[in-house]
This record gives sequence, C-alpha cells and structure tokens, in this order.
Amino acid sequence: MSGLDGKGTGREGRDREGIGLDGTGLEGTGREDAGRAVGVAVGEARDAGKSSSASAVRRAAADPVKGLLHRHRDLCERAVDPLEIAAGLEAHGVTDRTAARFRHRDVFSLAEEMYARVPRDRDTPASPEDAPTPGPRGPRTAGVVLALLPGALCAAAVIGLRLTEGRPRLIAAVVAILAVTLALGAALRRGPLSAATRTTSTWTCWLVGYALLGDGLLRTALSGGPDGLPDGSADGPWPVTVAPVLALALSYAPAAGCAHLFAAGARRKLTSSRGLADFSASVRPLLLGAFVLYMGALAGLLAVTGAVLGEPAGHPQGLGLGALLLLARLLIVHGHAHAPMLVLTAAAAAEAAALATLFAGRLPGCGFLAAPVEALVAACGPAGVPTAACGVGALTLLIHACRRLTRASAHASTERTR
Amino acid sequence: MDNRPSHHLLVRIRSSRCEPPGQRRLPKREIGGARVRIGLLTEGGYPYVSGEAGLWCDRLVRGLEQHEFDLYALSRSESEETEGWVPLPPQVGRVRTAPLWESVDDHIVHGRRARRRFAECYGELATALCTAGPGNPSAEPEREPEGQSALEADRFASALYGLAELARDEGGLPAALRSETAVRALERACRAPGAHRSAREARVPDLLTVTARLERALRPLSLDWYEDDDLGSVDLCHAASGGTAALPGLLARYFCDVPLLVTEYGVRLRTHYLTEPDSSPAIRSLLAAFHGRLAAETYRRAAVITPGNTHARRWQERCGADRAKLRTVHPGMDAAPFAEAGESPEYADPQTLVWVGRVEPAKDLVSLLHAFAEIRRAEPGSRLRIVGAPSGPEGAAYLIHCKALAAQLFPDEADGPHAVGRNPVSFEETGGPELPSRADAYASGALVVLSSVVEGFPAGLVEAMFCGRATVSTDVGAVVEAIGGTGLVVPPRNPRALAEACVALLRDPERRARLGAAARARALELFTVEQNITAFHGIYLEILSRTPARRVLLDDTGEPLPFGVPAEAHVPGRWSDPTARVASRGGPGTARSGPGWAVEAGPTRPKTSVAASEGAAR
Repeated sequence: MSGLDGKGTGREGRDREGIGLDGTGLEGTGREDAGRAVGVAVGEARDAGKSSSASAVRRAAADPVKGLLHRHRDLCERAVDPLEIAAGLEAHGVTDRTAARFRHRDVFSLAEEMYARVPRDRDTPASPEDAPTPGPRGPRTAGVVLALLPGALCAAAVIGLRLTEGRPRLIAAVVAILAVTLALGAALRRGPLSAATRTTSTWTCWLVGYALLGDGLLRTALSGGPDGLPDGSADGPWPVTVAPVLALALSYAPAAGCAHLFAAGARRKLTSSRGLADFSASVRPLLLGAFVLYMGALAGLLAVTGAVLGEPAGHPQGLGLGALLLLARLLIVHGHAHAPMLVLTAAAAAEAAALATLFAGRLPGCGFLAAPVEALVAACGPAGVPTAACGVGALTLLIHACRRLTRASAHASTERTR
Repeated sequence: MDNRPSHHLLVRIRSSRCEPPGQRRLPKREIGGARVRIGLLTEGGYPYVSGEAGLWCDRLVRGLEQHEFDLYALSRSESEETEGWVPLPPQVGRVRTAPLWESVDDHIVHGRRARRRFAECYGELATALCTAGPGNPSAEPEREPEGQSALEADRFASALYGLAELARDEGGLPAALRSETAVRALERACRAPGAHRSAREARVPDLLTVTARLERALRPLSLDWYEDDDLGSVDLCHAASGGTAALPGLLARYFCDVPLLVTEYGVRLRTHYLTEPDSSPAIRSLLAAFHGRLAAETYRRAAVITPGNTHARRWQERCGADRAKLRTVHPGMDAAPFAEAGESPEYADPQTLVWVGRVEPAKDLVSLLHAFAEIRRAEPGSRLRIVGAPSGPEGAAYLIHCKALAAQLFPDEADGPHAVGRNPVSFEETGGPELPSRADAYASGALVVLSSVVEGFPAGLVEAMFCGRATVSTDVGAVVEAIGGTGLVVPPRNPRALAEACVALLRDPERRARLGAAARARALELFTVEQNITAFHGIYLEILSRTPARRVLLDDTGEPLPFGVPAEAHVPGRWSDPTARVASRGGPGTARSGPGWAVEAGPTRPKTSVAASEGAAR
C-alpha cells in the first residue's frame, strides 16, 4: 500500500467521519456513503490477510490484541470509556468480523479489553496548558483608535466651544454632542466593553447631561435663577461644567483597558484555578485592582482637565459618576443587566428629584420641599447631589459586582452558531 | 386557526409557528385505515433546506398523505434558519420551530423556592452524569448490579422530568441552567466520592463548557410545545433522530402520554465520541454520560425504535434498548433512475468493471488497481472505469496518486499499429455527455466493484443492486447486510481475493446475470422508498393499536364518531400486547397522568373540548 494510509490522515478523517455520520447519514442518493471517511486503518485487517506469514502467525497466536493496542495507543489512552474506543475502532474500519479474529464476540467487547489493558497511571491531567484559550484577538489598532475616539472628539468639541461665540457656538455644540454620541456608540459596539444585551443609554445620557449642566442649574436655582439658557461657558447665566465630562470621555480608553485586563485576567484564572471557590478568591483582587486602576486614571484626567480648562476639577462627582458607569458596564458585559439598570435608574431619578424639589419649593406653601436639597448643598456644595446619588449607586454596584463578577459563570463564553 | 390565546401567562422561549401552505384538505377515509396525526420531531433537519435528514423526512411526509403531520423542528444554526424551508405538502398541518443556537433568555428570575427546586434537580442530574462510567447506561447487567444501573437511570430520568416540570411551572430555565447554581452543582457532583475518574479531573473551564452544552441540549425543556393543543394533540411523536430531537418526544410522553417512535440512522452517542476527539477528558466523559443516559431513557420510554441498519441497532442495544422494541427499517432510496439499467442487463459491456463513488483514501482505489492488474493477467481484454469526483483536497491528491499509479501499472494499448491507444483504466466523472448519470455509469459495466476499507451504509452498492449488476465488494460496514447473498464479498485490503472474485464472475456470464437479477430483486424488496414508507405506516398503526384512545374521534362534520374507540379500550388490564403496555406505559412517568383506561370518567381525558374545537375548525 502507499504511504497515503499513514497515521497522518487518521485524525482528520475521523473528524470528517463524525460529520458525515451525524443525523441520518444517508438520504437516498443524495449522500454517497453514510460513513464516508476516515484515515485508513493501519492494518488490523492486513494481519489476517497475511496470515500465511510466519511472524504474523506467531504474533497473533501469542496475543492478537497487543498489536492492535499498539496501533491504537493514542485512541486508547485518550478514551474515557470503552464505548469511545469502540467508536474509534469502527471509524478505522474494524467490524465485528474483524473482532472475531481477536477472539471477541464484537467490537464492544474487544474495546473493553483494550480499555482495560491500557495503563492509566496518569492521575493528573497531562495537559494543563493544552487550552490556552486566546482572547479575542482582533485588529488591535482599530480597537485602540475607537477607544480613543470619544475622548479626542470631546476635546475637539471643547476647543470648538471655547473658540466660537453666539450662533456658531450653538451649531458647534450640537455637532459636538452628535459626534461624541456616535463615537461612543461605535466604541461600545466592539472591544471589551461591548455587550450583547440591551443597554442603558437613556439613563447614562441623563447622568452625563447632569454632570454637564446640573451643578450650574442647581447653583443658579438656589440663587433664584436661571436667567437664561446655557451659553456653553462656565460663567454664563447657566454655567456649564465641561471638565468632568471631558475627563469622562477621555477616560473611555483606560476603562476599556481595565475591562480588557479584567477579562483577560479572569480567563487566565479560569484555566489555572482548580475549583470554583478558588476562582472566586483569585478574581476578587483582580476586579478591585482593575477598578482602582480606572479610578486612579480618572482622578488624574480630572485633575488635568480641570487645570487645562481652568475650572474646578469636580473630583467627587466625576469619580462617583465614572465608577458608577464603569461598574454598570462591566456587569452588563458579563450578563448581569438587571441590577445596573435599577441602580442607574435610581441615580438618575435621585438627581432629577433633587432639581424638581428645588423648583417645586418655589411654589407658594411648598417651601419645605426644597429644604433637604438646600441643606445638602449648604453642607457639601452643589456637587453634593450628584456625588451622593452616584456614589451610593457605585457603592451598591461595587458590592454587587464583587459577588457576581467573581463567579465563574459570569465569564463563560456565550457563542452562537452561525 | 391556530391563533388561540395562550393558556399560560408565562413567557416561554420564542417559537415560531405557521399554518399549512394552501388549503386544508378534507380527511380521506379508507376502509381499515386510520388517520394518524403524527408529530415529527427533527433537529437540524427537515424542513430546513440545508437540513441533514431532509430528503428522508420529505419522502416520508409525502408518501403518507393519508396521515397528518405536525412538524416540530429544532434548528442548529442561524444560517440554517435563514436559508428557509423546503416546500411543504398539504398534509403538514403545523410547523413549530425553535432555535438551539442562540442563547435565549425569558427574563424570568426564579424565586427562592424555584431556585431550591432547580438546585435539587440539577444536582441529581449532575450526580447521575458523574457517577458510574459514562456510556455504560444500564446496558450491562453482567457488569453492574441490575439495581444499581436502574437506580442511576431513574435518577437521571427523575432529574430530567423535574427540570421539565420546573420549566413548565415557573419558566426561566435557560438562565438557571447557565447560572452559578448549575456550575456549582456540577462541581459538587464531580468532586463527590464515587465520581468517575475523568469527571474528578474537571477544571473550571470544563465545568463551564459542560454547563453551556447541557443548557443547549436541555433547551427543549423550556419550549411551550407540551400543551394539549400542541404535542398533546398528536397521536404519536416520531423523532427523526435520537438525542435532543427525541427530548420533546420524551416530554410529550411524560406530560401528555403520547407514544414515542424513535428513528435513528446514526446513534447520537457514537457521533459524540467521533466529533469531540480534542475536548478535555472531563468534557468528553460528562457529555458522553449525558448522551448515554438520555439515549437509555429515550429507548426505555419509546414505544418502538427503528434503527436504519444493523450497525445502529447494535449501538442501540448496547445503550440499553429493549430488543422487543427494535425494528430495523432500512433507508429508502429512489429506484426509478435505475429502472432502465436494471431492466436491460444485456447492454453491459461484458469485459468492463465499474467503480462508482467519491474518490477518497478510505475507498482504497490503490488496492483496486492492484487487483485489476491481476485481473488483466487472467483476462487481457478487461477494462476498468473509475467514475467519481474527488471529495475535498485530500481526495484530489488521492485521485492524482491513483492516476499516476494506473499509468505506471497499465501502459496505453491500441488495437493495431495505426490506431490511437488508450489506457484500460479510465477516470471519469458523471455529468458529461458520455455518462450523464450514475445509472449510466452502472449500466456501462458488467461488474460493479467496491474496494473500500471503511464504509457506513453503502448507498452506491445499493444503486448497483437496483441496476441489476453483479457486484464484488469488500467486507466492511453494512456491506454484507445490504448485499445479502446476491454478490461476492471479499476481505478488505486483499487485492488477490478481489481479483479472483472478479475473474470468476467475468468468466461466468450466467452466474453474473443470476446474481444481478437476485440483487435487483433484493434491493427492490428492501431498499426502496416504498418499503420505507410502508414500514413506517405499519409501525404507526401498530403503535396506535397499542395505545388506548385518549380523546373522542370526530367525523368530517365534527360530530363525535360512535364506536370510534373500541370497547376493549375501556377494559382495565391487558387487552392488547401486554409487554408493550408494560414497557411503554410503566415507570414513574405515568404516575401523574395515568393510562387512559384507568381514568374513571372513561377514555375522554379533559382535552375533549380542545379536540372538539380543533375538529370543528378543520
């Protein structure tokens, strides 16, 4: 026989055969052979064919199964039970009649003997690194550019707002909002922060919008304003705080990086850990580390943007909002969308309620409504409202994430069959 | 007509339904014939265009137009779903499909009690998968103590039905099957004492993979098919394959007491072993245990099991199928294209051997060429036609190799000094002007040769039999089963034996004709579409005859049909085949609903009104 029936084709052949046999295997003339396939058996049948040769006779007489065992050592060592050996042998062309030559009633009993005779002294799995499961390795530059895009566009928008005046500034603002939203959407559609489930864009927009306009509105409302619409500057009748929003937009890239670090680290721990408890214990520091890393990056960005723009950096509310958004996103990405929805909605509602009570307090006889917010602002300044809303939300989500994201089931891959 | 409001408030997995194409027929009635409503369960097959079992199911549905078919199809991939359906005949009453490929979520969060129920059931399931050897489900009374294996099978079954009931009562099963509770239960079972060796070695990624795969395989549990107006209304369920496709049938039997018929051409457990050679031992072992136990439960509950060939039958017996329930139904093939060739055996060139098939290494053409060299020595005028296209790059390389070998072994020959020579071995493909079809290829030779070393069910050999040609084949796969005594069979990889058999037939035209005629008769008897359909028709009626009527029969005008149910149906005890009653009606599954004849109110179970409204609408 030619070299074509070597062992090299055996593996591929077996794969194909499985596909061929799946289902009914043969529907009329449509399919040529149900069990088409397969690398060729290296020669159990040949033994019988050459039974005249003396060596074959001697070998067969002593222990017929030994040679077979040697030829299918791979299969036998891999097999988890006798039936797997039987299936593999059949795929190599061994039939009951072949098995009869090995003094067995059928392939099943032959497979049982082979299963019993293969030494199994390896108690530890021999291949702990056989499945390194490489992460999603796409075009990295595209991902990096997309992650940087929202921040870059936001910075350009801020410059545009600073340089223009009047009607052009309005147009610039509209264009800027559109561009940043689109860029953010594009960035969220792929990469480590992309989620398959429905998102929470409405509440996110509201929270970011509050960070942009809310503090100014609150401050002017307390002093009887606002006396006009926001004009995009920090010293108008309705002051706009751009610095935290710009810092948040710029922090998208570190957020994506942290999420990637967390996911990749969790995947690594997944393959290396022995049990579920083990995994949870090793992932918790990873989660907290990624979170702290992002907070540090955000704090730095807040300081830089505050200094560059000449505005108060707004550390507390910026950090609170950033933490809230990152944790919500991480939870959604790993399949727990329920809690983030609730918390984001609650935070947005709290902020809206603060503004609403303030304005409702102006109605005659309803002054008591504004009292709590006024007290809070007197104590912590206008930043107290978003800081409290987002901070409490972020804390809740952090506790939730520490329980949910440290579970192995949160890191199971969910693939679809195309 | 199928737009009745849902009885349940629960949101179940989306599952599309459609109504029959064209007008609904009036039911035909024939003397002695009963009209059966069959729920055909498929997975990744009919009615999808790209489905694997499509042709077989299509012929069955079209062939049994006196019956009515409801299709319940599980689709395996998105591409399959987008490619659409084959045209459906009017006897298909209803098509319901559900995807197995996308991760579904019905956004139902279990309460505490449901969570505990789920954890118990899933823990039982996991324990059943981890303990004892996988793939040894209750089939080996001599190895395992009988009680032990029965206990394990019962444990698996009760866990399965427990999960199904949970899905029916509460919903939210897909999310629960993917949850941490499930992974933890699996880990606990794997680490428990007594767990299988390879299951003990399961690491976290293995656990996650197994959980995801189990969720996928158990997705039929969450479908809303098991109501009285869906699978509850059919007379019998026919699963077109084992495994996940049979799961709806099992549940229909459990919830609605519908008998189940399982047809398997390839055993799911064996497919699992062959398709997963590279997964880790833990994954292979746990999933093999799942498939093995599911198969055992399916065989235990099925009324009749029809393997497609002896090979599948052996595996089924191995997996615990009761021999009394097994009926081999050979796959049907269309004999019409080969009728002309079969009826005119005299047109064959008496010196030509034909090999038809797909060119690939498993066909061992090299051995055939060596055999032909010996044949040429004995019969110098003989020719060999190798007809077939290579399959894949491997096959193409093999074809080139074979052509080179043929050119080496056989120099070109000419009739005289002035004629153009040609090689006695020709490599051809069908579709050209010389050989328009495979039937022509078979018809051109006096002898059809099959030299494979590995073969499943040899469809090509059966085609040769349809053509009435004598055959020489190697003893592989189901060749002997197909050919019976109507052709010569030699050991594989034995060119000399192959050559001797061919020479013997080439020198004996009478024997050739005799064998050819016998082969054609055998093929027409066993392997036609008609026999396949008739066999299934008989099996349907046999199953129905053993199943007590569960509802009032209605005639064409919607009136109840008097004496539609034989009086014996009301008699408690055995009035038909007792073993079948015990086999298909026994077990824990009936504890809930009980056999039809045991209901005090008579054979009309509470679904009478449903049946009546359906009948009136028809």
